[in-house]
Formats: sequence, C-alpha cells, structure tokens
Amino acid sequence: MGRLHAEEMILNMGPQHPSTHGVLRLKLRTDGEIVSHIEPVIGYLHRSFEKHAENLEYQMVTPFTGRCDYLAAMGSEHGYAMAVEKMLGIELPERVEYLRVIFAELQRIASHLVAVGTFGLDVGAITPFIYCFRERELILDLFEMASGARLLYNYIWIGGLAHDVPPGFVEKTYEFLDAFEKRVAEYNQILTGNKIFIERAADIGVMTPEVAINYGVTGPSLRASGVNIDIRRTEPYSIYDRFDFDVPLGQGAMGTVGDSWDRYYMRVLEMSESAKIVRQALDQLPVEGDVQAAIPRRIRPPQGEIYFRSENPRGELGYYIVSDGKNVPLRLKMRSPAFSNLSVINEIGQGWMISDVIAILGSLDIVLGEIDR
Amino acid sequence: MIQLLANWILSFDMLSGMGASVAWGLSLFIVAALIFVFVAVNAIVLVYIERKVSAFMQVRLGPMRVGKYGTLQTVADALKLLQKEDIIPKMADKVLFVVGPWVILVASVVTFAAIPFSDTLLAANMNIGLFYVVSISSIVVLGIVMAGWASNNKWSLYGAMRSAAQIISYEIPVGITLIAVVAVVGSLNLQTIIEAQGGTGNLFHWIPIPLPNWFIFHSPFLFMAAFVYLIGATAEINRVPFDIPESESELVAGFMTEFSGLRWALFFLSEYANATLVAFLVSIVFLGGWQSPFSSYQGTQIGFSIITIFALFWTIFVQGKTKRLSVYPLGLSLVITIAAWLFPGFAIWMASPGIFWMLMKVAGIIFLLMWFRWTFPRLRVDQLMYLSWKVILPLSLINLMGVAIWMWLTGEIQF
Repeated sequence: MGRLHAEEMILNMGPQHPSTHGVLRLKLRTDGEIVSHIEPVIGYLHRSFEKHAENLEYQMVTPFTGRCDYLAAMGSEHGYAMAVEKMLGIELPERVEYLRVIFAELQRIASHLVAVGTFGLDVGAITPFIYCFRERELILDLFEMASGARLLYNYIWIGGLAHDVPPGFVEKTYEFLDAFEKRVAEYNQILTGNKIFIERAADIGVMTPEVAINYGVTGPSLRASGVNIDIRRTEPYSIYDRFDFDVPLGQGAMGTVGDSWDRYYMRVLEMSESAKIVRQALDQLPVEGDVQAAIPRRIRPPQGEIYFRSENPRGELGYYIVSDGKNVPLRLKMRSPAFSNLSVINEIGQGWMISDVIAILGSLDIVLGEIDR
Repeated sequence: MIQLLANWILSFDMLSGMGASVAWGLSLFIVAALIFVFVAVNAIVLVYIERKVSAFMQVRLGPMRVGKYGTLQTVADALKLLQKEDIIPKMADKVLFVVGPWVILVASVVTFAAIPFSDTLLAANMNIGLFYVVSISSIVVLGIVMAGWASNNKWSLYGAMRSAAQIISYEIPVGITLIAVVAVVGSLNLQTIIEAQGGTGNLFHWIPIPLPNWFIFHSPFLFMAAFVYLIGATAEINRVPFDIPESESELVAGFMTEFSGLRWALFFLSEYANATLVAFLVSIVFLGGWQSPFSSYQGTQIGFSIITIFALFWTIFVQGKTKRLSVYPLGLSLVITIAAWLFPGFAIWMASPGIFWMLMKVAGIIFLLMWFRWTFPRLRVDQLMYLSWKVILPLSLINLMGVAIWMWLTGEIQF
C-alpha cells in the first residue's frame, strides 16, 4: 500500500518521559504518527559500576550489584555471589542454597509484577498497576523481614547469606503464596483478556526467533518468541535441578508468536511457575543449618577468569570476572540482559505508531540502572 | 427562568423603578454567574469523587488528610493552582496560548444555558436546544488546537492534531444518533424531548413489562442508540478509553503539556464540565431527564420492592461468593422500600418529576464514565478512527433508519 510521505520529524522521547521506564531517551524519526527509525540514547544513569568494582574488595561489590537492576536486586546479588564462589570453589550449606532460591524466585515474582503493571500503564490501564503493586508490597514485606531493606538488600553474600531468616518467615511466605496464586486470575481478568488490551498488544512488535537470537535477547522476551532457553533448565545452577517447573513459551495465543501480548503473558505465566518453585523450596528447606560457609575474611580467588550466567527476571545475567590473585577483581564485566533486550527496539519497533513503540518498549521490560550500569 | 427572575426582582417596591430592561439584564448576569458557579463547584466535587472512586477501585483510601475524609482536598488543590506562577513558554504564540484555555472553558460553560435541570429550572428554553448544545460544545476542539499549536511543543502538537481528528470524527455519529431521537419527538427543544418521555408503557411497545416511557425503552434501535451515543460522547470529551489527545503514558499530557497554574485549571474545569454535559444529555435524551421512573406512588412502592428483591439475590449469589460481603446496596434499597410503604408522602414525592431525578441520573452516568476510566486501557489512534467510521457511524445510520421503520410499524406515525 502506498503511503503519502511528508517531511519527517525528529521526536525526542525522554530522558524525562512517563513511559521510558527511567531515564532513557529515544530519538524517534516520525512521519506523522508512524515511527520510521528508533535510536535509543542511553547513559543517563551511568554510575561506573564496573570501574568501582575494580577498586573494591570482592565482598564490597555485592551492594553495587543490587543497584544495577534495582527491581531484581536479589537476582543480581545471587548471580555475583555464585560467580565468586565458583572461582573460590567453595561448597555451600544446603539451607543457604534453598533460601537463595526462595529469595531469587520471590524477587522474580516482584519484578514481573512491576513489568506486568507498568505494561498495563503503558497502554493506558491504571488499575492493574496498583493491583500488581499490592502483591509486590507483600513480597517486599518478606524481604524486609529477612534483610531489613525493601529495595536494595545486600543480603546474599559471598559464601552464604548476611544472616538467617527470622522465625515466622517460612509461615508468612506460605501465606503469601496462598494469597498470590489466586490473585493471578485477577490480573488475567482485568488486563490479559481485555479486548482493548489485546487490540493494543497482540500482533504488535513481532520478534521472530531469528531476530531475537541475533540481537542476543534473553529471558521472557526470548521465550515469548518460542525459543526454549531458560538457564535454570538448560544449564541448572544452584539447586534448580531439584525443582519441578515449566518453562512457558510464546504460543501466539492472541496473534503472532513473539508479539507484545506474548511477551507480557510470558511474565504472567512465569510468576505462577516461580510461585511453584518457592513452594517446593519451602517444603524441602532444611530446618537446621548454618547460613554462612567457612570463607576467609579476605577473599583472594586464584588467578584466572570466569564467566558465570544466571537467569535474572529480565534474562541472562552474566558476570565475567578476571582475577590476578589479589583481593580486588582485575576486571569485572556485567552482561546485563536489558541492554541486549533494548537493542532490538529499532528492529521490531520500526514502522509502528508512537503508541505502539511505547507498548513494545514496555513489553521488553527494561531497567535503566542495569543498562547504563 | 431569566424572565421569572426579572419579574421577581421587579416585584420588590424598592427595585421596581429600575425598568424592565435593566432588570432583565441584571437577571441575565445572575443566571450566567449561577451557571458558572455550578460548573466550578461541580468540577471540584467531581474531582474529589473521581479520586475516591478510583481509590476504592484500586484498593486505596484516596485523599484522607485535608478535611474529614479528604473532603477539602480539591479545594486546597484549586487554591494551590490559583497561586502558581503563570508560565508562558518563551517560544509560544502568546495570544493563542492565553486565549486557547478560555475558548475551551467558555464553550463548555455556555452549553449549560440550554440544559434543563427540572421542569422549570433552566436558563433558556430554546426551541433548538439540542442543536445549540451539540454545536456549541464542538467549539472545544478549536480551543484544543489553539492550545496545542501555541505551545510550540511537539507533544502538544500531536495531542492537538489527534484531538481535532477524534472530535470531528465522533461528532458525526453522535449527531446522527441524536437525530434518531429527534425523529421520534419531532422537536429539538430539550423540554419537549423530556416531556415526551413521561408516563409508563411497555418495553419496546409490545413486550408487556411496564417500564417508564423513556426513549431507551422506546425501541431496540433507541436502546442501541443510547449506547452508541454514550461511546461516541465518551470519545468526544476525550475520556478513557478514548483519552488519546492527553494519553499520559504516550504524549506526556498532550495539548496541556506546557500549561500550568490557572490555565491548566481551566482545562480541568472544562473537562469535568464536558463530562457533566454528556451525562446530562444522556439522561435528557434517553433516560427521561427530570421524569421520575415511577408513575404513581404505588409504582414507587412496587418498584422499590422489586429492586430490593434484586439486591437481595445479588447480595446472596454474587456478593456471597466473595470474601468481603457488601450489604450497602441491599440496606439502602431496603430502607427506601420500607420508607415508601410507611410514608405515602415520601412515595408520592419519589413519583413526582423534579431536579432530584435529573441529578440522580447524571450522577449515575458520571459514575459510569469514571468506571470506564479506571478499568479500560487506551485505544490507539487508528483503532479509534476505525471504531468511529466503520462501527459507530454505520450503527448510528442503521439506528436512524430502524427508528423510522419502527415508528411506522407501531403506528406512531402514518404515511
């Protein structure tokens, strides 16, 4: 179909904009409402995480990792701790592994709740956002109980946890799970099945498996395109091989495989799967046990390098650490999932309308703290 | 009403010397001021109600701190807006920037001149009332385009252009839907339209369910027209799910982006004035305006008894399944029913037409609009246009033809 072409206009979306999920700037080349080119401009939240890490002892880096992906701080800390532990070659007590999985999966639920809620907000539905935050509050209460903090925990330390969970934590987590599993149906009722929502999200910003793999997209966004890669399953770390859970894949239930609706729905499904994992971990959690392995006060990993990856709520979170035998890392590189996920925006967002670009951006679920680091 | 007021002023010995024309002019001003006060107070109350309604839908409390239950919150907000610095962007077109908000406000306030609040209470009983309201309210788009263009901001421009396209597109189906009603009444006078809806009749003329003679129950076509009108009117006043000109998550604030303080307050005022206007029009044209739903005091008693039974079933079978049982609807209807059976005077008052019924219907429609706003996502621009030109417009044309055929079938008109 031939379209009338008028003069193109450069539109700056951000850095201050309600729907860029932080301080992201998108340079849109627009022809009326149609966007012909998207150029993400990043770096507004750059805090020199990697350079900082080169000047800090290994234990001191932990709080910085949480500040990268501030919506999934437990996941970042978990990945970093595991990477250093693998370099040191230390064995962890069973109780630590179970508690870490519980926290990582609760964090995944909390992060996906934000993703689902803000995606609703991006397409104009305000109420689901508040519903999602209602449940997120309960998870944050659990985290506060354990670590004392609600957003940036510094709880998963190298060699274990900062301290054991308080009495009553397990019971409260069970209570939360009982309440949460019923409430997923509420999100589906108010948002997932809404006709207008489907119109806005289905068939929009289709990401084929080829495009997703070429751009290094990982996590729920990749699985929405039908690629069955979940590091918890393909390369089980920690104790993920002991749990029974499904890896939901994009089916194209409302449109095409890999559209925005699929990416949204992956997160809804994954929340239920995470709840399943938490329940199993709570059932198997050893009652007695230390929460710190015996590690030296000053960590000096042997010379060498390591790349360790784990499944963060946003995708593959990798830590590449080079050690020269000293107590500070020679180089620490973080492979952040949202950075790669954002890079695909021009490929899948071209030719759509401004409203669609916002929906596509929302469906990728980016966190700028992690992209800019 | 203006003439009545003028006569009343002249009836005082002290004032009778001023002359008929002066008295008439004075009452004109008084009525205009009353309408403006109504619009302003209405906006303040509606903002409070909207915040509370949204809070209850979202498991929150809403404003609670200023005044008892936050009742003075919007008053405080209005005062804050009045004090704010008046900012005109450097590169803005100053004249249009200043005039734009006023055009919108004037267009939405002036429409209330023709709106009847009860059988006697209206500013101007025009024989072209409906035409006047529809035509004047479409001036709003002019103000929006002025404001959006003058801001010299790309987001504002997008908002203004979207708004212009949207309002003009929806004007057509909305107008045609209203014509269907005019075809039934044969008059554009809003009072005549309401008077034609008095009394009780069968549902859709033949189905033997006694219902008030409102146009929504007149025929299947007008039943459909009421919903078509409500959808079209929601789009015309830029409310969710059609809030594309403002679309907060996309265009920041659309055409209002650069406005602050009092000027922004004017947009807000006119937004709620327009919502109220639509609610008034729906209740005038389809829900019988100030007519009571009950034709006699026995009707009141029986009607409320039926409502109570419905509320009972709803409480048991719908509410009973949820954890938190709400008994307010049942309790309220029970109290009214008992009162209607015990005090015939109350039942007679309920059965008589008046401003009470008008405002109740308006409140119901406004609640519906708020309900839309806090549940639906937003449509996209092209989907909105699709809905207008390919769904709503054909439906409204079918309505118009259907109503004509229906009238011929039921024998209301003969050829």
